[in-house]
Amino acid sequence: MVKKKVPDWLNSSLWSTTTAPPPPDDDRPQRYAAPKPVAAAASAAEPPVPVVAPPAPAPTHVHAPVPVPVPPRDVVSVQQEPPKPQVIVSDTRPSNSDRNDDENGSFVQPQLLSELSKKVINVRELRRIAMQGIPDGAGIRSTVWKLLLGYLPPDRGLWPSELAKKRSQYKHFKDDLLVNPSEITRRLDKSTIYESEEWKCESSGFLSRSEITHDEHPLSLGKSSIWNQFFQDSEIMEQIDRDVKRTHPDMHFFSGDSSFAKSNQEALKNILIVFAKLNPGIRYVQGMNEILAPLYYVFKSDPDEEFSVSAEADTFFCFVELLSGFRDNFCQQLDNSVVGIRSTITRLSQLLKEHDEELWRHLEVTTKVNPQFYAFRWITLLLTQEFNFADSLHIWDTLLSDPDGPQETLLRVCCAMLILIRRRLLAGDFTSNLKLLQNYPPTNISHLLYVANKLRTLG
Amino acid sequence: MVLVLAIGDLHIPHRASDLPQKFKSMLVPGKIQHIICTGNLSIKEVHDYLKSLCPDLHVTRGEYDEDSRYPETKTLTIGQFKLGICHGHQVIPWGDLDSLAMLQRQLDVDILVTGHTHQFKAYKHEGGVVINPGSATGAYSSFTFDVNPSFVLMDIDGLRVVVYVYELIDGEVKVDKIDFKKTATTRLAH
Repeated sequence: MVKKKVPDWLNSSLWSTTTAPPPPDDDRPQRYAAPKPVAAAASAAEPPVPVVAPPAPAPTHVHAPVPVPVPPRDVVSVQQEPPKPQVIVSDTRPSNSDRNDDENGSFVQPQLLSELSKKVINVRELRRIAMQGIPDGAGIRSTVWKLLLGYLPPDRGLWPSELAKKRSQYKHFKDDLLVNPSEITRRLDKSTIYESEEWKCESSGFLSRSEITHDEHPLSLGKSSIWNQFFQDSEIMEQIDRDVKRTHPDMHFFSGDSSFAKSNQEALKNILIVFAKLNPGIRYVQGMNEILAPLYYVFKSDPDEEFSVSAEADTFFCFVELLSGFRDNFCQQLDNSVVGIRSTITRLSQLLKEHDEELWRHLEVTTKVNPQFYAFRWITLLLTQEFNFADSLHIWDTLLSDPDGPQETLLRVCCAMLILIRRRLLAGDFTSNLKLLQNYPPTNISHLLYVANKLRTLG
Repeated sequence: MVLVLAIGDLHIPHRASDLPQKFKSMLVPGKIQHIICTGNLSIKEVHDYLKSLCPDLHVTRGEYDEDSRYPETKTLTIGQFKLGICHGHQVIPWGDLDSLAMLQRQLDVDILVTGHTHQFKAYKHEGGVVINPGSATGAYSSFTFDVNPSFVLMDIDGLRVVVYVYELIDGEVKVDKIDFKKTATTRLAH
């Protein structure tokens, strides 16, 4: 095989997936089961147990790290070629030099815990550790993400006051923005001396009429009328409602008839509505619900009761922060501009060309697979739709820990995604390649992120 | 927050050709949840027009209605309130508030909506409230030619009702509002 600029390590059989991927469904229930026990065990004040001493917590940790012989391992073994079965376990990842899962799992967690327990946290250091992945079991992902997104200040002492401030701010937003015009008029009336007629038996007679101010009646067509604005907003609210109901229909957390799922949906809706009202320039765009879902899930599953209860407020601010880097992707007018989604996709293309020219040529020139067909969803939705939920949480660990912002890492991960299936892509034509890329095959996330990281150094 | 439109006595096409333009521009679909019509539309086209504003339409029979299948009276419950509709030509003397109060007690409703007099009225007595939305087209009545087009929009929110009165006076739409609350234990329940 003639290789042009594809490094040898990349071509080792280690990295390619077999042509018949194992049924992902086996894995999913267990993987989805795991997060639930984490949430359920939240209040069972589960102490962060060092990953190496696993067998004790095994019942709750279906996700237990590799040393423990856990059922998913046997069911799902993607790579048969390498000597050691590399499993699709959404697990802690190998560091750059060491691909041995066992040892690294035990490195990351204590490191994270020690960093988090300091009085003033060194966020740069935290980023470096978090880039390797945050272990699922210890329930610290919520805190780490909040620190990475800048929601929590590095100084632990400031946390209570910061949190209280932000949470009350969110509450004010909700009170101001989520109220319907009837409520507003009622409050305005209360503030004036006007007393509404009571339905008492004493008086009979004609009811007194009162003037209304500023054209504030329900059928008003005036631009400044709260009623008119309400009816115009109701379209957006309906769309948000529809999208929230469709978010992750396979997860109990988000969907179903339980009151837990309903309250989660309510929270998602509130956050999106408040965001849409506070940002009239961008409002709500389909897809924002998908970016919001993992954030809310992680924060709500925080074992710390206090954090879990205020998950909605925390998620709102972190969502704003996360989206601030990606807003331009959602603005249609900016599509063709330098900061828009098209130019980002072009950058991805360039990146692929740099690292694997043969593949790039085959995809874009020979088979004419326009990157917009697949990369659009990858980039705007931050890869939440391409992998199962637990894997996407891991990818987000890496994305969020990038000090330059998630965009760069995202492009590298996308490039790595392409490179990992290069054999199949090179062998395919337009139809099969497109199909493959739009339904990205399940893969070992550790590998993927390792490759993505390598691309940084080779860049 | 339920918006209920109370409208009636349009007398289209006999006494008026259409609703005033200013009213029509305000009445758009999608805002109103229920329509209560006191009667005397009088033809099917008007019924269809009202139906296009809101699918939940309740009409009672007025003496000039061409569709004889409308009921004489109707009651419905919206939120915490019971509403009753009747055209009013059946209640003699026409427009007499005591007789209407009798009808209201008979129907056992909190708010009675009637028409026929083509005059807006909102009256409270110990049995409840009587609202007459007037004539939406300003058609002449049996009493007088001097009729201002008017209709009523009620905003029912829990135990409180805000009644917005829309009147066309000298070519301009004037909106007033009336506010009343119902206490939870007002009627002798049965």
